[in-house]
Amino acid sequence: MTATPTPALEVRRLTVSYGAHPVLWDVDARFPASALSAIVGPNGAGKSTLLKAALGLVASDGGQTLIEGRPVRSARDRVAYVPQRDAIDWDFPITVREVVEMGRYAATGWLRRVGRSQAALVDACLERVGMTGYAARQIGELSGGQRQRVFIARALAQQAPVMLLDEPFAGVDARTEASILKLLHELRDEGSSMVVVHHDLTTVRSAFDWALLLNVRVVAAGPVGETLTPANVRRAYGAAAEPVDQAQASWAG
Amino acid sequence: MGWLIDLVPLDYSDAVVVLGAMLLGITAGAVGVLAVLRQRSLVGDALAHAALPGVCIAFIATGAKDATSLLAGAAIAGLVGALLMVGIERTGRIRPDAAIGVVLSSFFSLGIVLLTYIASTDNSNQAGLEKYLFGQAAGLLERDLAVMAGLAIVALTLVAIGFRALKTTLFDPAFAGAVGLPVRLLEIAMTALLVVAIVIGLRMVGAILMVAMLVAPAVAARQLAGRLALVIPLAAVIGAAVGVSGALLASRAEIPTGPVIVLVAVSVVIVCVLIAPRRGVLWRARRLARDRRRILAEGVLVDLETAIHAGPPLTAAELALASARPARALRRALRDLDRAGMLRRDGERLYLSQPGAAAAHAVLERRDLWAAWLEHGSRLGVPDAREPDPTDLRASLGDEYADRLHALARAAER
Repeated sequence: MTATPTPALEVRRLTVSYGAHPVLWDVDARFPASALSAIVGPNGAGKSTLLKAALGLVASDGGQTLIEGRPVRSARDRVAYVPQRDAIDWDFPITVREVVEMGRYAATGWLRRVGRSQAALVDACLERVGMTGYAARQIGELSGGQRQRVFIARALAQQAPVMLLDEPFAGVDARTEASILKLLHELRDEGSSMVVVHHDLTTVRSAFDWALLLNVRVVAAGPVGETLTPANVRRAYGAAAEPVDQAQASWAG
Repeated sequence: MGWLIDLVPLDYSDAVVVLGAMLLGITAGAVGVLAVLRQRSLVGDALAHAALPGVCIAFIATGAKDATSLLAGAAIAGLVGALLMVGIERTGRIRPDAAIGVVLSSFFSLGIVLLTYIASTDNSNQAGLEKYLFGQAAGLLERDLAVMAGLAIVALTLVAIGFRALKTTLFDPAFAGAVGLPVRLLEIAMTALLVVAIVIGLRMVGAILMVAMLVAPAVAARQLAGRLALVIPLAAVIGAAVGVSGALLASRAEIPTGPVIVLVAVSVVIVCVLIAPRRGVLWRARRLARDRRRILAEGVLVDLETAIHAGPPLTAAELALASARPARALRRALRDLDRAGMLRRDGERLYLSQPGAAAAHAVLERRDLWAAWLEHGSRLGVPDAREPDPTDLRASLGDEYADRLHALARAAER
């Protein structure tokens, strides 16, 4: 791993609790730049919470987040975020194009019109995720995989060097998963850094560069080959050892 | 406001009522969309009920029925109610719906007690305060109108300025927070806008039924439009139309305005929910029935086509036995096929006509294509996000990929 000295995302001593329950306990983690990193761990390990707390979306009891070495508050334009899709109201009156335009609002200002150069950028992002023909559709008319592509297009429109993705492959057919993974690899080769919450160890082993194994505390972190050893996985997942890898969903969806 | 009133081609008092109802409809319609999309419609209901004790306390404090001070009282009470709801929710032990129920009922009870108390005093001004329960458009003053107009302009301007931020927060609060929007503040602002709309409507519609003016135009507009930038203005227009017609009807018939406006609004909603293109209940039911009928006819078509290869042409009775379809459905399908000119008859026996045979082959080709997609689709390498539609794979994949799929299937057969 030829990571530059400054990590893309770094959290220091991050602690988050819901009520009396610690969800993340004293987490120190560094995710290298220009790499495809995964956060893996069992259910309830705090994987999604780590991303949310890093972005300041949930209150943390203590800790600090750095994006490319700068505090997250002053680096919001350097990080794009693909949130989980389960809280979204898919009947919301909005078109695919409008969702992707949302990725430009912070950069263009919340009042200005979306100009021609912005529109071209939005088109390019839609093209990149293979959704060119769908710009005028209602978001609710799309399949789960297509919705995820739109959310990724919105993150691309943010044009940030660091991208955080929360369970992007959940509820997505295998064909979409493969093409999203391919896109993430392309982005990495172009120099972007990605941190992905994911639960499928097989995919992480075969397609990711770096992994953080998490279960409330950090169990292990580093290049995938050194991190996801049977011993470490057993430590993170408990006595159940490695979970049975889910059978690949039918790609035809 | 005088010139505006002169513009309305009605007598003075009706003109004031019409303008008031219009202001209310526009504001409540636009702001109501924000509440409905946040799934917070009942917060509007609770805030309207919570405003009542505010009106009473303002009257007790000032001893006069001055619209400005009464509405200020209503606004303050509404905001206190809103804060209480958030506070009760935050304790973490009580769910939002319960918090809404508690605030709504306790504030409204207090309001009724205060109304009764005021009625028992000998303040000669007190008559008419009970109109804040069910609303009374008649007797609206030009002065009240000016206050309402000012509030409406402020509320609509805020919605317009904050449109993108509001849209982002409503659709995806997590994303909004990640790009640095003050999500909490925006949610408070939306609640405050709700209070403004309620204050405008309180005198006209009354505390009990105000929620209908927030919800009904939003629901109707959502049925008709697919973008927030259209839903909000459309809700404002529907709100204005409902408000004006309801207020005029009520003042002619000398009944409280609230119930009349609500009945008008509900009729509009019912019509929209039933017949709106693409989303309407009847629209969807019709499409479903049409699809079923087509699929049935296609099935019969294929049965006839395969039967021809198996032996002599079938009679309708034999076809019913062979296809195991209900007799009624089969009769209907045959009638449809007859009408489309796809059948030929020779006495009792059924043949496919030239177009009928072509149509049957097309159906079979679609089935083959779907089978080929399931078996070979992964090797097709469709580059984008288009997804196969089982009813018409060729149209959903495009001719190029459909042809390639056929080639793959043929190659596999050899």
